[in-house]
Amino acid sequence: MKVMDRMRQSTIGRSMFRVPDRVTERDRAAGHWANFLLHLYPVKVRRKELTFGYSAFLGVSSLVLFVSLVVSGVYLMFFYVPSPGNAYGDIQNIQTSVAFGQYVRNVHRWAAHLMVIAVAAHMAKVFYRGAYKPPKEFNWVLGVILLVLTLLLSFTGYLLPWDQLAYWAVTVGTSMAGYVPLIGDSVKQILLGGPTVGSTTLLRFYVLHVAVLPLLLTGVLAFHLWRWRKDSMLQMDQQGGSDV
Amino acid sequence: MSDQDPTIVAGQRLLGVVPGKPAVGDRKELKEEDPVMVWPHLLVRHAVAALVVLFIVLLLGLAFDAPLRAIADPTNTPNPEKAPWYFAALQELLSHFHPLVAGVLVPTAIILGLAALPYIDRNPVISPRARRVARTTFTVFLVVWIALTLVGFAFRGANWGWVWPWQEWHGEL
Repeated sequence: MKVMDRMRQSTIGRSMFRVPDRVTERDRAAGHWANFLLHLYPVKVRRKELTFGYSAFLGVSSLVLFVSLVVSGVYLMFFYVPSPGNAYGDIQNIQTSVAFGQYVRNVHRWAAHLMVIAVAAHMAKVFYRGAYKPPKEFNWVLGVILLVLTLLLSFTGYLLPWDQLAYWAVTVGTSMAGYVPLIGDSVKQILLGGPTVGSTTLLRFYVLHVAVLPLLLTGVLAFHLWRWRKDSMLQMDQQGGSDV
Repeated sequence: MSDQDPTIVAGQRLLGVVPGKPAVGDRKELKEEDPVMVWPHLLVRHAVAALVVLFIVLLLGLAFDAPLRAIADPTNTPNPEKAPWYFAALQELLSHFHPLVAGVLVPTAIILGLAALPYIDRNPVISPRARRVARTTFTVFLVVWIALTLVGFAFRGANWGWVWPWQEWHGEL
C-alpha cells in the first residue's frame, strides 16, 4: 500500500488520480465519482445485491465475454479478408500459420456461444427477481435490445468462416426473412445483397459483425449500465436515502 | 511465562473481566437492504466472477477446437440443413407451422412481448408468491423454448426426421 500511496503522491500519480485520501466514506465516494472506470457503477448497492443468489453475476459475465470477444475478434481481423475467394483459406491459415491463431479462434467461438447463454440467463434471472418493475422498466427494454443485438452478432459471425456449416446455417436463417408479408423479398435482398448467399452477403455480414453491431451494442450497453446505476440509487433514495 | 503473574503482560495489567458486549459491540448489524460501498464489496466479487468466466473460456478454447467443415459449396446442400443452435427452436417450429407463423409472427411476438413485459405486468410486488401468474407464464415459455431448442439441435437428422442423439449426432456448434 505504501508504494501505491507514494505513486499517487508523485507528479504522474496526481495527474492520473484526482482522488482525495480515502479516509471517510465521503472521500471514498468522491474517489468513486472521479474515476472514469468506476463511474458506470453506483457508489453504493444494497447489501443483498452482493450475494451470488441475487444475480449469479450473469450481467458482469456477459460484459466480460463481450470484452474477450472484442479482443480476440480484433486479433482475427488482422488475418481475414471477407471475400469468398479468401475467407476459407484465411481461416485455414489462421489455424495453421498464425501465432495462437487456432487458440484465439477457439476462444472467440466459445465466448460467443457462452455470451448468448449468459445474456439469456441474465434476462431470466432479472425476470425471476422482479427487477424489471418500476423504476427499471426501460432498462429491461434496453436489455431486450441487447439480447437481440447479441443474437445478430453471433449470427453474422457464423457466416464468416465460409464453410459448409456457415453457408447453410445462414441460408436457413435468412430464408425466414423472405416470409415477412409485403416487404419480405426486399428485406431478404437487403440482407443478402442478392437472391442467394454470396460475396455481397459475406461483405455485408462482415461489416455488420465487426463494425455496426459491436458499436451499436457498446452504445446501448453504456446506456444500460448508466440506467442500472441511476435506477439502483433511485431505489435506495426511495427507501430512505443512500446515505447511512 | 508460568512463573510470572499471568495478569501482567509486557507492562500491561489486566484489571478484570466484565460480562457484557465487547467494547466495539455497538457496531450496527447490517441488514439486507442496507447500502454498502461498491468499492470494495461489489467490485471484488465482480473481479472474481470475471476471472472465473475468463478461466472457463480459456479452458474451453484449449479443450475444443472450433469446427471448420469443407469450403462453402452452393451446389451441395447438406442434409440436415441446420441453423445455429440459438435458432434451433425457430427451425423446429418451422417444420410444424407455416413459415409466416414460425419464421415471422412467433419471433416478432416474442421480442415485442419481452420488451412490453414491464408495461403488461403492472403488479408492483416483487415477492415470488404474489407473482404466480407472471412466473408461471414465463416459466412455461422458457421450458417450451429450451425443449424446442434441444429437439431442433440434437434430435433432428436427415430430412428433419427424428433421431436419438446417442445413435446419430447432428448437432453443430
